[in-house]
Amino acid sequence: MQEATFLILTALANGAQHGYGIITDVQQISAGRVRLRAGTLYTALDRLRADELIVVDREEVVDGRLRRYYRLTPAGTRRLAAEAARLQAHAAAALRRLNLAGGMAT
Amino acid sequence: MTDQANLERAYRRLLAWYPREFRDENGPEILAVLMAAAREGQRRPGLAESADLIRSGLWMRLRPGVPRSARTVRAAVRLIYAGAAVSTVNLIIALPSLIDIKTYHLEWNNHPFTTAQLNQWGPLIITVDIVLSLVPIALWLWMARANGRGRTWARILSTVLLGVATLDLTGAFQLHSAIGIQVDFVPIEFGPTLPVLTWLVGLAAVWLLWRPASTAFFRPPGSVQALHQFQMAELARIRSSGARQAAERDAIPGGLTGMPVRRGPKWSIWVSLAILMVMIFVVLWALPPN
Repeated sequence: MQEATFLILTALANGAQHGYGIITDVQQISAGRVRLRAGTLYTALDRLRADELIVVDREEVVDGRLRRYYRLTPAGTRRLAAEAARLQAHAAAALRRLNLAGGMAT
Repeated sequence: MTDQANLERAYRRLLAWYPREFRDENGPEILAVLMAAAREGQRRPGLAESADLIRSGLWMRLRPGVPRSARTVRAAVRLIYAGAAVSTVNLIIALPSLIDIKTYHLEWNNHPFTTAQLNQWGPLIITVDIVLSLVPIALWLWMARANGRGRTWARILSTVLLGVATLDLTGAFQLHSAIGIQVDFVPIEFGPTLPVLTWLVGLAAVWLLWRPASTAFFRPPGSVQALHQFQMAELARIRSSGARQAAERDAIPGGLTGMPVRRGPKWSIWVSLAILMVMIFVVLWALPPN
């Protein structure tokens, strides 16, 4: 799973969000490192919808502009959980080895 | 005109890079995000932002966008792209012989050109040969794109083209025998392997397109309605299999519900008819005189 996809799914893990909300949330989650642009975001959202990992939750019109809210499907939740567990396992393995290497070095 | 109006107009121009169906469904929403993310007093889109929209728009135009659940259609579209790749390889292989027009036309294809005519009209004949070699590739790509968008006429036209390719492969029409130029729906100059492989790819694709699992995806008119109806069929399947109520909610995107359904473009029907007419004309033209 690409990092942008993982971050978008993570942004939706707390509940439905609209496009601009996802962009700001992803920026916050990644501590400002990842700044999604609208084109990239909607390419990813379209793919995630086609893969049935997210669906449109509702639509609102705010200040004359359309807002469409997206949410995770059960399949999307499972996929995000599996990816998070995989990344956590990799990170834990890396940290274990780093600690081991640090312990041997001192 | 205000800065905001200028900016919005510039964004609308950039959104034209996206396919019309995608723009109709998502354009207002993307525009809202772009305007919300714009800086105070911004008058025109930034370079990186413009590049991102153009790149994403082109990507949307090129990819088929078939839902993962429509497995048979996805497989068919991939096969059609593979067919385009094989045809392209054939063109690359054939290019040196196309350029050597004397050998190509006089020795291989027994065309009614004299050496003097070939000398005089050489560049024109080479150009026509190459352009006509691009026709099958264009047809493969067009069929991949149209089938991927759930166009019913594309499934029918793909089947007709397979029929023409079958006749071409079996030599029923001998398209190259009576005219100086040639349209090969399957490449025939370099032994049986490539033509049979190309034809088998087409056969497999058409077989997949007509599988019962694909039929729900091909509902006229327009891809939005096709996708919606496909999802409704999926919902019926989920209901009948007794899946959880949550899954039922997920099967109907709220964004599609209540949306005005666009009719498919009428020009596509006329283009299909025009191609069929041209093909019939070419076949009649190519038939050897009695």
